[in-house]
Amino acid sequence: MNFFHQVYLNLFANTWHWAVAGVGIGLTALALAWFMGKRLGVTGGFVDACSIVTSSASSSWKIWFILGLPLGGVLATIGAWSWTLTYGRLDALVYGSIWLKAGWLFLSGILIGFGARWAGGCTSGNSIMGVALGSKMSILATLAFIAAGVIVTNILFKAVM
Amino acid sequence: MAITRKTSKTPRKSIEMVVVAKKKKVSTALSTGSLLAYVLFGVLFGYFLSKARATDYDSIIDMFMFKEFQLYGVIGVAILVVAAGLFLTHRFKKPTLSGKALDWEPVAFEPSRLIGAFLFGAGWALAGTCPGTVLTQLGEGKVFAIFTILGIGVGVWAFQKWQPKAANDNNC
Repeated sequence: MNFFHQVYLNLFANTWHWAVAGVGIGLTALALAWFMGKRLGVTGGFVDACSIVTSSASSSWKIWFILGLPLGGVLATIGAWSWTLTYGRLDALVYGSIWLKAGWLFLSGILIGFGARWAGGCTSGNSIMGVALGSKMSILATLAFIAAGVIVTNILFKAVM
Repeated sequence: MAITRKTSKTPRKSIEMVVVAKKKKVSTALSTGSLLAYVLFGVLFGYFLSKARATDYDSIIDMFMFKEFQLYGVIGVAILVVAAGLFLTHRFKKPTLSGKALDWEPVAFEPSRLIGAFLFGAGWALAGTCPGTVLTQLGEGKVFAIFTILGIGVGVWAFQKWQPKAANDNNC
């Protein structure tokens, strides 16, 4: 009984060791390539969703793919699911203000969307698929992602906080 | 049904093709089966992102401050699995199980794209999330993810306004 409860918690509540989760993500990307002939990428889903909102009614596999992501989030946490307004250490950074937090995340989101589109992909398209395919652009873009992230985070949490 | 099958096989829809499709009123809808398959792939990807702790703000911050190996390990292992798997099918010249060709062409190197990459990296650190994980966060019940999602939509839209001729790249 104890054993099955532990399995249940690991499937629907707990997070995993990096090697196990990494294999899961890798196999999902691989299966998408093998079975569907598609290259994993999330930013393209946002691009296609935007083009539907603004005008052209093209239907795209990527929109259906990104619709599954929230469902995956539900499934992974269903054993201990609850709404939350908290957002980790960001709460301290915005002095607990929900308005500041909403504005902060919205503006950061603009940087993410604009930057990912310009860079030709985000963490999934460039850093996982692009690097695995040995694309020079993707490898350099991934190094730039991490460099910018390291600089910004260290300024925020070492200099400001 | 025949029409939808035919059009869903087109590997990449260029702007011109979409325009033609609109003019001719050709349905570009995917078949219900493949549509459900794509949703299922999304569910799997979101599930593993959540299990990897990639949907946690503090994990992203600890990665960038080199306090935690977790997410470097996740990305590294995922790259190795994909590279090894694609190498094997390529090596033995096996067609993919779907019978469809993979979009192999890499995006051409352009130095200006690195500016976009820096902007993305800054956003990744500021919001503590990327486009895939933020949608997963919504499912986990993290309400504030909605503001990041709206922002990403605006950012993608703004880029399209700025560079209307830019193609939807393979990496996206």
